[in-house]
Amino acid sequence: MATFFEQVREMGVKQATIAKTDEIVERMTAGMNINDIRSALRGEEARRPNPRLRPHADGFWFHIRPSFYHAEVTHIYPTFRLGWLSTFMFVWETITGIFLMVFYTPSPRAAYSDLWNIMGNVPLGQLVRNLHRFGAEMMVLVVALHMLRTFITGSYKKPRQFTWLTGMLLLCLTLILSFSGYLLPWDQLAYWAVTVAVSATSALPIPAVARTLDLLVRGGPAIGEGGLLRFYLLHVLALPLITGIFIFVHYYKVVLHGHSLPPGREAIGEDTAKRVPKNERVYFTPDIFTSEVMWTALVVLILIVGSYWFAAVPIEHHANPQITPLHVVAPWYLSWSQGWLKLAHPFIVAFVFIPGLATIFFIFPYLEVGKSRRYADRRVGLSVGMLFIAFMLVSNWMGSPKYKVRGSSDQEVAQEIMPQEGHSPILETPFEALAPGIYYPGQETENEHFNEALHEYFIAMDKFSCKLNDENSPYRPCEPWVDESGRTRYRNWFTEDAMPDPGEGVYMQISDQQETLRRIDLIFQVVDPESSDGALLYDSVSTWWRHEDSNYENY
Amino acid sequence: MQVKVIIGTVAFMLSMIILGLITLFEPVRMEQFAAAEVGRNVESGANIFFSNCAECHGINGKAEECYDTTGEQIGCKGRPLNSAALLCGEPSQRMSDMQWTGTKYALIHGTVNAGRPANGMPVWGQDYGGPLQFNDVANVTEFVLNYQTEELCAIQPFVFPWPGTTLSADYPDPAPEDYNVFLGMTMDNITLDEGQQVTFELPVTVPGDAERGSGLFEVTYGCQACHGNPKTGDPAASIGPSLSEIAVNGNERVPGYNASQYVYESILNPANYIVETCPNGPCANAMPNNFAERMSGSPQDLIDIMTYLLGEDIGTVALPYGVGE
Repeated sequence: MATFFEQVREMGVKQATIAKTDEIVERMTAGMNINDIRSALRGEEARRPNPRLRPHADGFWFHIRPSFYHAEVTHIYPTFRLGWLSTFMFVWETITGIFLMVFYTPSPRAAYSDLWNIMGNVPLGQLVRNLHRFGAEMMVLVVALHMLRTFITGSYKKPRQFTWLTGMLLLCLTLILSFSGYLLPWDQLAYWAVTVAVSATSALPIPAVARTLDLLVRGGPAIGEGGLLRFYLLHVLALPLITGIFIFVHYYKVVLHGHSLPPGREAIGEDTAKRVPKNERVYFTPDIFTSEVMWTALVVLILIVGSYWFAAVPIEHHANPQITPLHVVAPWYLSWSQGWLKLAHPFIVAFVFIPGLATIFFIFPYLEVGKSRRYADRRVGLSVGMLFIAFMLVSNWMGSPKYKVRGSSDQEVAQEIMPQEGHSPILETPFEALAPGIYYPGQETENEHFNEALHEYFIAMDKFSCKLNDENSPYRPCEPWVDESGRTRYRNWFTEDAMPDPGEGVYMQISDQQETLRRIDLIFQVVDPESSDGALLYDSVSTWWRHEDSNYENY
Repeated sequence: MQVKVIIGTVAFMLSMIILGLITLFEPVRMEQFAAAEVGRNVESGANIFFSNCAECHGINGKAEECYDTTGEQIGCKGRPLNSAALLCGEPSQRMSDMQWTGTKYALIHGTVNAGRPANGMPVWGQDYGGPLQFNDVANVTEFVLNYQTEELCAIQPFVFPWPGTTLSADYPDPAPEDYNVFLGMTMDNITLDEGQQVTFELPVTVPGDAERGSGLFEVTYGCQACHGNPKTGDPAASIGPSLSEIAVNGNERVPGYNASQYVYESILNPANYIVETCPNGPCANAMPNNFAERMSGSPQDLIDIMTYLLGEDIGTVALPYGVGE
């Protein structure tokens, strides 16, 4: 071939440059020159031989993508784009994760302040953190829905059993990936959620194995420097690597077998995904490619809007092994396991039930060998599937703090309006409104935010206290009853053990501590109606502080 | 396909516009977050302070009001932290006194972390074998630093003058002619420029209030815990020497000092003279040396305690600033 200089001599600079550029583009796209690209973008018919197929044969990026799809599977139904979306989320998490890695040190000394640095000192740092966290939750959701869809359309059946198996593996990896990232902020939420989960290892009946396993996961007697580093390496290195590899295996199998058609579109027991008639082909370039670019733009928009306006990630206090917050919860996507732990011994749950269930899921396509993918022929299977979903939803609800072991009534009221961690109506009131003074539940002040908080205070009190003798009490009536130990207790509409006639003994006191710091005391002094000398049935104070700049109202 | 191109383009442009808007408000948000970090650390520090430090340093950090775990008021053992001497100026008074050349933060953080066992301050940081996690040490440091306000630093701390000191002209607002009678201090080297006037505001009333002095002696400064009750002998003196005869034997302890001068100096700087025998054997250098600082906010306390111990005739010999002849 002529060199560039020879071409210049022959055609002049302009023509030679155009020819050279064309040549380079063709080499880079593994077969398409500038004109081919333009005609593809304009939606014109391809010339013969079709240059748009060559990148699939010779190029790296396209060789794993099919060169054409069956028109039936390019609509929203039956795939709902969930498989593609799962891959997209994985790439998305990798990119946002790398940005976060730049500002993060996996050490208990530094992690938490690094997090604050990301939030307060890195431009768009909070956004990227929210994107990563919101994306992770979306990824769990998308992968789970993808699996559900595969189950419903029967796409796991022969010849795609192995694809399902790798998909199950990817679901597990997604959950572990998500959960391993949970520890990294090193705040109370992270520390205790992971500590509770990891403590399942101690449920193993063989002490030596339990100890070894425990030590392996925690990296020491308690989760500390070693444990954090382990979770970090799992999260940023080992798991993404394994997940990446299995995504390729999964993808390869999808390309090998083709996308399964909607169940009603082919004869029972037949798989026609790879035999696509010429008139039903939709080529990757330009149609599928355009579609994917569009979805990329749409999903990015949704993720940005969602994570900026609807999914601000909380930041709790620094992890502290000595302080266990009330009501530690697992992330919502693992809440079902916490629900099960309330029902059965941890050993049964963590080492029998969950692995058993997982095994059934893994080999399920090899057990369920019914030939038909049609809904009408799979009534039992689909019903069992729906029942299982209902079971998971109920388990999830049972794992949530709504279904929990209650503390004492005064503790619960404090927990609802001014918990140690998380959403707190009182602290979210603007600093100026928290003027020093004494406030009663439901009191009206000049500030509407504060009124809302005091209203929440009243609602909490209404749940955990009741009217016994005090005519002026605004709460619902008590019903005294005697427990096994012979103590009189007071039942109301919500709890077995309410505070009778709290009256003026329950209030909130705000006082100045420093010029920019106020002290908030929730005082509970409830007289025992049974006692003659006015002894207190409840006598406690919950205290927290509110600094002028803490800005709970916005974050 | 055209529809898809349009949807994709619009979505992409929307993303860019939103990102641009977010970026526009980013500096404000970052500032708020940086402030929130400090604010929340101070809150956590307050929590640590009230469960660990207030018993010795006082509920206001001034070492004035301290309570034991049963709610009984006790004498404060710690130094004042809500104090201009510690917090105001760079270096602050206390930093100069200790010849500390590091930062204020490092002084407080280091003191909390490693303690000052010789002065009764325990080790708090886990790094040094104490109970607090490293971040709690940092939080409590931020809490103490948050006591610093313009108001606090506007007040000039009162510094007690020493007997025999030669005062310089810029010593807080003295009337020069009165100095000569104050605890034997001389004013020899002070010369005023012509027409210069020195005004003098009386910081104390002499004699003081003996009844208030007894309260300060028993509770606020906790003297009674070691010295016993000098009037009734109940409780009896234990660690420190009995003070029931101090009005008389105070005249004989240090040559050239009368009882007033002796008590004045013994409270402010106990290590200058140590009595030989205490109820439990030879006296040790056990008296806290933080009273000068604790009383710097209200010098009247010292006069009230002296009045309680020595009677009302402290005036002629121990006139701070020579008032009340």
